[in-house]
Amino acid sequence: MSYQESYDLIQKAINVEPVDRVPVVYMGVAFAPRYMGMSIAEFCEDPEAALQVQLDAMDRLDEVAGGLDGANLAGGGKISVALTAIWLSHIDVPGRELPEDSLWQVREEEVMTVDDYDTIVEQGWGAFFMSYLPRVIDMAEFGQSMGWSAANQQRIQRLYREHEYVVVCDAGINVNVPFEPLCGGRSMSQFFLDLYRIPDKVEAAMDVILEETLASIAAYEGEHGIGGTWLGGWRAASALLAPKLWDRFVWPYYLELVDALVAQDIVPVLHWDQDWTRDLGRLKELPAKKCILNPDGMTDLRTFKELVGDHMAVMGDVPATLFAAGTPDDIHAYVRDLVRDVGPTGLILCPGCDAPINTKPENMEAFVEAAHEYGTLV
Amino acid sequence: MEELVQKLADLEEGDVLAMVGAEVENGTDPLEIFDACRRGMVMVGERYEAGEYFVSELMMAAAIFKEVTGILEPAMAGRTAETRGSVVVGTVEGDIHDIGKDLVVGMLQAAGFEVHDLGVDVAPAAFVAKLQETGATILSLSGLMTTSFDPMKATVDALAEAGLRPGVKVMIGGGPVTEKIQAYTGADAWGASAQAAVNLANQWMGG
Repeated sequence: MSYQESYDLIQKAINVEPVDRVPVVYMGVAFAPRYMGMSIAEFCEDPEAALQVQLDAMDRLDEVAGGLDGANLAGGGKISVALTAIWLSHIDVPGRELPEDSLWQVREEEVMTVDDYDTIVEQGWGAFFMSYLPRVIDMAEFGQSMGWSAANQQRIQRLYREHEYVVVCDAGINVNVPFEPLCGGRSMSQFFLDLYRIPDKVEAAMDVILEETLASIAAYEGEHGIGGTWLGGWRAASALLAPKLWDRFVWPYYLELVDALVAQDIVPVLHWDQDWTRDLGRLKELPAKKCILNPDGMTDLRTFKELVGDHMAVMGDVPATLFAAGTPDDIHAYVRDLVRDVGPTGLILCPGCDAPINTKPENMEAFVEAAHEYGTLV
Repeated sequence: MEELVQKLADLEEGDVLAMVGAEVENGTDPLEIFDACRRGMVMVGERYEAGEYFVSELMMAAAIFKEVTGILEPAMAGRTAETRGSVVVGTVEGDIHDIGKDLVVGMLQAAGFEVHDLGVDVAPAAFVAKLQETGATILSLSGLMTTSFDPMKATVDALAEAGLRPGVKVMIGGGPVTEKIQAYTGADAWGASAQAAVNLANQWMGG
């Protein structure tokens, strides 16, 4: 299928307009190297190899299972560096702290201190962020990796296009709700207690982060296709937080950031892990047909359909557990039901949140096949 | 004591700690204070089950309970509250995540279980050794990644090889764990939350 055909399908899905085929996109960061026989250590250390192996995996899937329309995210760069920047945590890397061919892991420990909330307020988020990073990452590696990403951003997009793949999140801007990096830096255990014990201090820091993030969005001048960017949520999920905490520390920040992104013609991709079912109705407060919900299989999409309807597209949500431990028949049944109950309009089929490292190849291939079997409407 | 039970259930940390301190000061039997706090924790669990509380409340409650036990321990002078049973807990080999595991530990302790926490990245042999050493009849395995499924299965298999099954019941939990994974690993049950772990342990110890 051509780039333009895929682009139009994805754009229609975002607009919740009728399609003659439900688009299907790839997401399998650690699956790709395993599928293509590359060690995870090499994948983590070589940003160029990490890019190429994603394209190779997609090409192989294209060949054996039918066409992919694109990818949720583009490959390339160092995954450990990207994750450190999101979670303010040290990432244990295969070949360093972990066995050569195992999965990288976030080290869950309290690195950020209570006093750091005050430092954020006093110094600003950007200054704090740069002064904090040496606690969790080697700065030479961080700088090198950021440099590689900046230098190669346009080339990466061009490569995907040459392979006829649309990258949904191609806006080239990184945005987070303040909750997530603070939670990562403090550790979930401590951060959740902070929300009860020192809520005003946390909120003050969050407000500073928000203001600076809004300013960076306002200054955005990138060029893009679909123009998506992750506005992720992991530990801010409804199932993890009391409503009074979610209403104060999560949702107001989503509202402001989504508005700012949409004003710049960027598509917020709500990459939500865990279960957000309780608060799905709130999605109707966001601008209609401007965002994508990108859940991981734990949020109830039947409830989403009932409460949110055609207000917003969904990209997802074949669960990681099914890819790792299910069968091709399980995958077929899941995709069939998903298209029937959540699609066909406003749906982009995608692993949720990410096909894991131990995805059975036959399951990933079944996913792409099933997308075509059940997603083709004429 | 009923006010203390209520205050803990309502997560009023400052009030709980002040009341516990005052009761100790007044010479109240520390086991009586401990029991009141444990009843507060039972209410927290009930509210979670009813959908009124979420994980954040479980974490806060577990933190308050831990502080309470810290205050009471010196006053208890070696006396211990009656335990409901003994549980070995750990995150399986190859997985270093501990948040869910720690919450399970806290909730089981608050529910009156003696907990042997082996930490993270625990080899099957270490679980077997601890079960043999303590005579615990429940094993709770945690894992956050899909790559944890095989180590969970290996651990259950190791228990069988050591002749510990079916005398030891095994529960598994963690983000990607489902009923399908329970069947794959050979565990007796799976749980989606720390409260589910408490419910299973209570059920296995006879209600």
